[in-house]
Amino acid sequence: MTLLASATSLERRADGAADAVDRPAASRRLNHDVVRALLSKDMAAARRSRSIVLPLLVVPFVLLVGLPVGIAIYARAGTPPDLGRFLEQLPGPIARDLSALPAQQRLLELVLGYLVAPLFLIVPMMISSALAADSFAGEKERRTLESLLHLPVEERDLFVSKVLFAFLPTVAVSWIGFALYSVAANVVAWPVMGRVFVPTWRWVGLIVFLAPAVAMLGLGVMVRVSARARTTQEANQLGGAVIMPLILASVGQTSGLLMMEPYWIFVASIVVWAIALLLVRGGLRRFTRDRVASRL
Amino acid sequence: MPSSVEFALRCSGVTRFFPSGVAVDDLSFDVPRGSVLALLGNNGAGKTTTIRLLNGVLRPDSGSCRVLGLDPAIHGTDVRRRTGVVTENAGLDDRLTALENLESTARLRGLRGKTARARIDDLLERFDMSRQAGQLCQGFSTGQRRRVALARALLHDPEVLFLDEPTSGLDPAGARAVMELIDHSARERGRTIVLCTHFLGEAGTSADLMAVMHHGRLAAFGRPEELAAARWPFLDVYLDLGGPPTPEVEATLRGLVTVRAVRPVADGALVSVPGRDAIPSVVADVVASGGRVYGTRSLPKGLEDVYFAVQQEIAA
Ligand SMILES: Nc1ncnc2c1ncn2[C@@H]1O[C@H](COP(=O)(O)OP(=O)(O)OP(=O)(O)O)[C@@H](O)[C@H]1O
Ligand SMILES: [Mg+2]
Repeated sequence: MTLLASATSLERRADGAADAVDRPAASRRLNHDVVRALLSKDMAAARRSRSIVLPLLVVPFVLLVGLPVGIAIYARAGTPPDLGRFLEQLPGPIARDLSALPAQQRLLELVLGYLVAPLFLIVPMMISSALAADSFAGEKERRTLESLLHLPVEERDLFVSKVLFAFLPTVAVSWIGFALYSVAANVVAWPVMGRVFVPTWRWVGLIVFLAPAVAMLGLGVMVRVSARARTTQEANQLGGAVIMPLILASVGQTSGLLMMEPYWIFVASIVVWAIALLLVRGGLRRFTRDRVASRL
Repeated sequence: MPSSVEFALRCSGVTRFFPSGVAVDDLSFDVPRGSVLALLGNNGAGKTTTIRLLNGVLRPDSGSCRVLGLDPAIHGTDVRRRTGVVTENAGLDDRLTALENLESTARLRGLRGKTARARIDDLLERFDMSRQAGQLCQGFSTGQRRRVALARALLHDPEVLFLDEPTSGLDPAGARAVMELIDHSARERGRTIVLCTHFLGEAGTSADLMAVMHHGRLAAFGRPEELAAARWPFLDVYLDLGGPPTPEVEATLRGLVTVRAVRPVADGALVSVPGRDAIPSVVADVVASGGRVYGTRSLPKGLEDVYFAVQQEIAA
């Protein structure tokens, strides 16, 4: 009898329509004061957490500064390989651009202007998913979530503050990282290039549009995974199963993208944004006190 | 009949399932404003779930609650503005200091500036945590955490206070401070308090009402003295006779109509009488039969006795 009743109650709760009816709060506007208060609390705490700060600084530094500089130094030292045949295999736009350059500039332009670009998308994906895991699953693990649920804070405000907590630092780090990369790349390549050669228009599209979209995508995946996980580690493991293929796919796709006309980057950004926002919106709809508290 | 607003808390037929089974089962009770309700029951009885339901953190599968006249499943935020909770786990952010934890909650509750600061200082003082205010909660003991959590729950001077095992981990002075706080808030300030605890002694001294839960069901609810009177119509009185009762004294006691039961003990006797009024005549009769009475003590049954009696009734 108990089992039967519990089965029907589960069905009833799974029914989204019933949920929406008794959630007047969902239609209310965001309470900016509350979101700001939550965000500043989480940021203050995160700044003191080595497990958050270190990856936030180290991963971008290695990928965005260390790696390109290494490549540039290597490229500068060796005699330039003959890229003629390689270029022939590349699709139109990029081959056209590169062929126009003097031979010794081709390798640097190819590597620093095109080939490392996909790496830039690893950074937002990794950082945003790590921060989202800390914020959504970590809060359960630290046992601070229940006392938050007992406060007069709307679910949506809480959710938005968590999303911003993961999104804003990610975008900041990606953009600052890119600025550092541009400086580093131009400096090491100066003797050969003799001009400022990054950022190109493709880069701008990649960094301004695609990187935030990818950050939101990683976040969206983590929001959904964290609903099921009880610890950050569990969320990262579950999430990794989705994030790693996504990273590989985005690296692959971006290499392809860069070979095409620049406007494809905008098209891709819109597609990624759309998928990411769908994921996040679904996460918000599921982020009810009842659901969250049932999984504490 | 008081209106719903005079009742701070009302539950009617509240039921909540989890995939693992029923956690709260057809719970119905009313708690008037200004009372202290001791919510008792074994581990897993459903106490914490009841608090979550009352504060709108969980929604009932059937039945409904009213807190200060509002349905927490619909007006959860309005309810939570007026309630304060100390959860079983203190739930402080270890990466923040005690002060920062309090400040962020104050901000989330809309308290700002000097008012907030004064209130925080006052509460830190009250729970003897002023000196540790600037320290990270990471290094705090269980009791210190609980003190900060208590201060945090009181920031906005809530009308209803839910305390889930507030004294577990507290030293005797801390526990006493909490019990005094409960008494003061309820008696002098008219606050309503729900106290979940496994310490029956402390529940007994402060509770106006008691609820015993078992497997999510309400096994008993009411005023401890009324629940006791229903189970024990007689008052136990200890007679200090300076030693075991002599055969004459014992015979006299057994012969009295007012005495329902006699149990000789090492230095006196325990007798059951209909009420306090019977004590003087019992003493007079003992003295008349040659006994000496050095003192008497009424042993009224209280919350603790009721609790164990209810547990036995459940087991039977
Ligand atoms: N989120 C949840 N998911 C599944 N089962 C739950 C959940 N919360 C509570 N329960 C179950 O509901 C029952 C009541 O739990 P609750 O925490 O309310 O008990 P309690 O009286 O507070 O116990 P304790 O004295 O140990 O704190 C338990 O059997 C528990 O396992
Ligand atoms: Mg409990």
